[in-house]
Amino acid sequence: MIQLSGVSKEYRVGPVKVTALADVSFGIEKGEFTVLAGPSGSGKTTLLRLLYRDEMPTEGEIRVAGYDVTRLRRSKIPQLRRAIGVVFQDAKLLPGRTVYENVAFVLRVLGAPRREMTARVMQVLKAVGLSARAQALPAQLSLGEQQRAALARALVKEPALLLADEPTGNLDEAIAEEILDLLKEIWSRGTTILLATHRATLADQLKRRTLVLHRGRLLKDED
Amino acid sequence: MLTFVISEALSNLRRGGRVAVSAVLLITLSLAALGAFWVLSLNLGRAVGEWRDRLRIVVYLREEPPPAALGEFLQTVEAVGGVQRLRYVSKAEALRTLRQQLGGQASPVEQLPTNPLPPSVEITPSPEASTPEGTRALIQRLSALAEVEEVQGGTEWVEWLAQLQGLLQVIGLAVGAVLALAAILTVTTATTLVLHARREEMEIMRLVGASEMVIRLPLFLQGLAQGLVGAAVAVGGLGLAYRFALPTLEPLLAVTLGLPRAAFFSPAEIALLLSGGAVLGAVGGLMAKGGRAA
Repeated sequence: MIQLSGVSKEYRVGPVKVTALADVSFGIEKGEFTVLAGPSGSGKTTLLRLLYRDEMPTEGEIRVAGYDVTRLRRSKIPQLRRAIGVVFQDAKLLPGRTVYENVAFVLRVLGAPRREMTARVMQVLKAVGLSARAQALPAQLSLGEQQRAALARALVKEPALLLADEPTGNLDEAIAEEILDLLKEIWSRGTTILLATHRATLADQLKRRTLVLHRGRLLKDED
Repeated sequence: MLTFVISEALSNLRRGGRVAVSAVLLITLSLAALGAFWVLSLNLGRAVGEWRDRLRIVVYLREEPPPAALGEFLQTVEAVGGVQRLRYVSKAEALRTLRQQLGGQASPVEQLPTNPLPPSVEITPSPEASTPEGTRALIQRLSALAEVEEVQGGTEWVEWLAQLQGLLQVIGLAVGAVLALAAILTVTTATTLVLHARREEMEIMRLVGASEMVIRLPLFLQGLAQGLVGAAVAVGGLGLAYRFALPTLEPLLAVTLGLPRAAFFSPAEIALLLSGGAVLGAVGGLMAKGGRAA
């Protein structure tokens, strides 16, 4: 599902060269649940952004869901992204739209038939436990509910790969636990998941394969 | 998908607020200015055309040729070249025409002891001889004939009118172009503001895999709609102005330019103005920058 070979990413800040990732190589099989751990600034977010081609690597090769990301033509980027769901630490919900509309927005953008839309949105809202809150605005939701809505939005297009960038970063322990349970449930249905977190305890708690990044280098890859 | 694109374009227009209205107004102004100069130029062009058609050269003769020699003389005139049609006007016919023209005031003419009017030949120049240079050369050739007393006629003032028409076209295009540029920039600003207000939506759209066409098409449609509305208001305004000004305008045109009726745009020209507005708006919409491209 994911293959990185010798991937490096450098940014130029004026005359200074900052290395965000250095010679990172690993592979993730279809259906795996992998944790990408490391402290803030270790390069986790950069790595995720390389996967959905929000950034280009300075060196190396990346393959995701059958796409050669580094050689992907600009016009093909939307196709890659349709295969990937992304959730962030802040839910990034559209504030003027209800939970239902936020989720349905994805299907409308992608041109899904209107008659299928309601059923699919309600199905995914049910899966994340938000069907009763479908008509609520994001401001009326708790942080945990907002993150569930963001997950519903990422999942409604049925992606093969889910990238979760610190999805529990803003949540207290109990609610974070709920989100992790939800992620496990999503994984159990066959979705490949790459979860980035700075919480070492979370990686231990999940007991999944963990890739540890430190200062842009892959320190550990352990099951 | 089409429903989504159209509903996004409409929502963009609503969110554009005052800037979107300013853009429509600027498109209206630019096309109204362009259209006003166009209508003026259109009517001047018709006047030029009509006057060119009416152009005659009158060759006054020293004396009336004997009836037997008239045919040969007219052949000589035709042979100078540049003559499309000619008509001989005898002294008697000239006097009859004068009487008709004077109508009730023709009594002094009746009291004349002899007919003082000269015979003449009215010449319609061929198209090649209707230019200022062509007419001058024709007059020179006709003046050289021994039977000719005087030659009258010329195209100078018609050409002056044509030059004025050309000048109006240039001024109209220049004013229209400046205003059109301003209109494009205003549409661009209106669209950029919408993009800025909607950057979160654009980010989500790109993130979930919306194609650039789906993202940009509503902006294109938004600009197109602004342009069309602006152009329609401009054409409507010009039409109203034309209708109100017509009673004053037509007698003036008849006296100065000899035009019996003032002309307005044909349906094809109206369609061209509307398309122009739509293009201005669409270009403005497409030029808008905002939201981070993939």
